[in-house]
Amino acid sequence: MKNEMAHRHGPDQDDPWIRAAQEARLSKAWETPGGWRYWSSVNNSEVGIWYIVTAFGFMLFAGVLGLLIRTQLAVPDNEFLSAETYNQVFTLHGTAMMFLFAVPIFEAVAILILPALLGTRDLPFPRLSAFGYWCFLIGGVFVCGSIFFNAAPSGGWFMYPPLTTKQGGIGADIWLLGLSFIEVASIAAAVELIVGVLKCRPPGMHINLTPLYGWYVLIVGGMILFAFPPLIAGDFLFEMERAFDWPFFDPERGGDPLLWQHLFWIFGHPEVYIIFLPSIALLAMIVPTFAGRPIAGYSWIVLSALGTGFLSFGLWVHHMFATGLPSISLGFFSAASEAVAIPTGIQIFVFIATLMLGKVVRSVPMLFALGALAIFVAGGLTGVMVAVAPFDFQAHDSYFIVAHLHYTLFGGMLFPLVAGIYYYYPLMTGYMMSRRLGVWAFWLMFAGFNICFLPMHLTGMLGMPRRVFTYPGDLGWNTLNLVSTIGAFVFAAGFLVFVFDALRPKSHAEKASRNPWKAGTVEWALELPPGAWGARTIPHIESRYPAWDDHSFMRRYDEGRFYLPDAEEGRREALVTSVLDAQPVQCMRVAGPTWITLATALCLAGVFIFATYHWWTATFISGLLTLCSIVYWLWTGTGEHPEKDEKAIGMGMTAPLYISGPRATGWWAMFITMTGDLTAFLGLIFGYFFFWTVHDQFPPPDIDGPGWTWPLAAGLLLCGSWVLTYGARLWNARGDMLLFRMALLAAVLLALAGIGALVMGPLAHRMDPTAHAYPAIVWALVLWTGAHAAAGVIMQLYCLAASFAGRLTPKYDTDIWNVALYWHFMAFTAFATTLVIGGFPLVS
Amino acid sequence: MTDHLQKEVKRETGEGTDLWRVILAPTIWAVHFLVCYVAAAIYCEKAGRMADLLPVRLIVGTATFIALAGLAAVFISLWKVRGLSSVNDDYNYAGNTPEERHRFLSHVALMLCVLSGVAILYAAFPALVLEVCR
Ligand code: HEM
Ligand SMILES: [Cu+2]
Repeated sequence: MKNEMAHRHGPDQDDPWIRAAQEARLSKAWETPGGWRYWSSVNNSEVGIWYIVTAFGFMLFAGVLGLLIRTQLAVPDNEFLSAETYNQVFTLHGTAMMFLFAVPIFEAVAILILPALLGTRDLPFPRLSAFGYWCFLIGGVFVCGSIFFNAAPSGGWFMYPPLTTKQGGIGADIWLLGLSFIEVASIAAAVELIVGVLKCRPPGMHINLTPLYGWYVLIVGGMILFAFPPLIAGDFLFEMERAFDWPFFDPERGGDPLLWQHLFWIFGHPEVYIIFLPSIALLAMIVPTFAGRPIAGYSWIVLSALGTGFLSFGLWVHHMFATGLPSISLGFFSAASEAVAIPTGIQIFVFIATLMLGKVVRSVPMLFALGALAIFVAGGLTGVMVAVAPFDFQAHDSYFIVAHLHYTLFGGMLFPLVAGIYYYYPLMTGYMMSRRLGVWAFWLMFAGFNICFLPMHLTGMLGMPRRVFTYPGDLGWNTLNLVSTIGAFVFAAGFLVFVFDALRPKSHAEKASRNPWKAGTVEWALELPPGAWGARTIPHIESRYPAWDDHSFMRRYDEGRFYLPDAEEGRREALVTSVLDAQPVQCMRVAGPTWITLATALCLAGVFIFATYHWWTATFISGLLTLCSIVYWLWTGTGEHPEKDEKAIGMGMTAPLYISGPRATGWWAMFITMTGDLTAFLGLIFGYFFFWTVHDQFPPPDIDGPGWTWPLAAGLLLCGSWVLTYGARLWNARGDMLLFRMALLAAVLLALAGIGALVMGPLAHRMDPTAHAYPAIVWALVLWTGAHAAAGVIMQLYCLAASFAGRLTPKYDTDIWNVALYWHFMAFTAFATTLVIGGFPLVS
Repeated sequence: MTDHLQKEVKRETGEGTDLWRVILAPTIWAVHFLVCYVAAAIYCEKAGRMADLLPVRLIVGTATFIALAGLAAVFISLWKVRGLSSVNDDYNYAGNTPEERHRFLSHVALMLCVLSGVAILYAAFPALVLEVCR
């Protein structure tokens, strides 16, 4: 009934004056700040561009390092680079390519184009994206800059101890802390993108109508949550060893360097797929467009992408085939490595099938897409070869591996990405890239790449190890190396053509007409160049290719006949919808420009950078400042009480302006973040049991443990705090303010006491973390849990303050919902930690 | 147009196969994989490299049996859906109704059962041929 009313009294979209007024209000609300305030933007179209440009900047830098490597290796006994410089150069090349280009470019592209693909105007947490970007920029500059001070990491991109824990200098610390900082950005992006795909699809876009890119983003976001945290746990242990001499990886004091290899590759192998899938996702958008038909086998792509995502977690030991693990372990991982080829292959076949069933239009993006498939298939085949353990024993650490990894990375990431940039360039800028230059760029890159890397298979077979700074001239490697070097420069020339074309002033360039590639997907409904508001209206979706299937779609879109065609209150708005069927559940107010993201990133950068130099006071102060800015950010930027309960969102519908709990985006963000956090914690627990596995007796009989009384007390106290926090949420909902506040206060006290008891365990038993890996891992778990409980206390206090300030009420209760959710995870952490450190020694 | 409208089934929004159900089969694979790997790693570390693998092979066998039984249960429950697209009678599922979404997710989940089954058999294979820890 109410819906009909709103419909009848809704704005008259037939009236061009009304539409013009709507457009004016929209552009005012979404206006990009001018002048130096431009840098306070948070909208996805600005942050996405910064992100992409920065990632490509790092790529160029790392590419130059690659050329330096090839120059050094061009001729035998070359003295162009010293051994030490060479080590820094190849380490930084690999590190920057992987962590500053391959992974972030996924986030960059997704942040930029996902809202358009979902027909919306921004992602749910624009400030989080901006914060992630600033972290990435600062961390990346810090890591790359180190080489100019001869202080770059030099232990290879996977930093194997004991070399890297015994090394002097700060190279390894820079690697560790710089990258931890960037992982923060990745996880922030994962949260943003998962919530974006699940909760911000346009109404009507059932999950089976989601663009394939969206599916890939969802899957990759999920993978990040399980892959990155173990590395964060590893980094934590590693830095404790380097800074405070806690011997996690030192075999003389009960540690084990293999623990690092496990933690690194549990991250490292899925990472390869985290890089590969989003780029393939671009192909899934490009191929149907140029084949002129829908993708042949949508559901097969979805299921094989999901399958790849899962299976990729069962491969990590194939990087450790040569470490002497039992052959049955090798067998498991070898089998899984072969199994993953099945879903990977299905995806490739679907692309080929789509091309064969359609009529292919020749274009630059298509050229790069085909080149990508060719290269990737070659890399995949050598992958299947090295997944066979006995073959890997031979090829391990040789140039064969260098060839393999570059084939998969270029075919699986770089070429699809360049195809994607050519394809989406008009959407981002309103201009076309040059076809002529594009063809040149492609052939130079394709030929150069193969000239460079194809011979490396042979160089490797002839026995040339990777990571050597030079070689004698009588081993038969000279010609091959020289050819590789020439190829590298040809490739670089092609890449520069591409970069030039993208960046050159556009006064002579061809302006893009609307939907220049005649695509069917919704992002091409945007006007080019797109206005700051992005979508004119949030469309109602009924098919996968609305522009092909529905001839009135574009007209209705332009006339704002769908959702949110207006910004009546001058606010940035987006729709939140349900997960499976995309039914509108909320009209969400999206945050606008702010400096707080940059400020928070700077403070956090202080923590990481000062810690690198072991300036602990400065680190501590930065930590405090970070905390203050986060609290300020949350207090001023979230949990706003809307001026009315609901509003008309167009198409005769109304939606509430405020929701909390599992339907709201904030709750999902907390849930996703904590899932990642839980994975990191499990990484630490894995460490504990790893030590138990490799020692004859663990805990070692001659070292005192934390006993069971203090851990038991800590567990009970922290779980008590959890129960009270949960109760507080219920009491608040019931409107019982006194009980609510009392419960929260008691929860704070219990948690503080719990932290005390937790620390008392190892403290009272004089456990010295530098003496042996056992006390070290106990202390690490205590530290982790204690820090999390402390964060939980701050959240409880925040809710208490919000309640007194009138921000947190029975009606507006997001804060306590999210804090209670945090405490669910916290309770599990406390329970597991106390059980392991207090209980396990009793049974082992 | 009309005959697919006749076939149209009413389904409430949000009801039917959901995303958790879709990832059930690969989760079974993951648990199976972990059990096998952890059992073998611990056993071979504690029993020494020349030890007979028999206990591990038994564990792997049992785990494989349980995992496949679990997969079969999931498979059968999804087989009941077995719907082609309600719009075009194909595996493309391009319709815009909750029923279509349900059939789509069921199809994806069903095929993931098959894939997970294959991967589980792959993982079990080394236990079939290896006899000592080495
Ligand atoms: C200009 C193009 C490139 C050239 C000429 C090049 C060249 C090389 C060479 C010669 C090595 C072996 C160094 C050694 O073992 O001594 C290497 C290692 C590596 N490259 Fe590249 N590369 C290029 C692009 C890329 C890209 C695009 C990526 C990833 C996205 C990448 C990732 C890596 C990684 C991860 C290593 C291993 C580093 C290590 O051993 O720690 N490279 N590269
Ligand atoms: Cu791998």
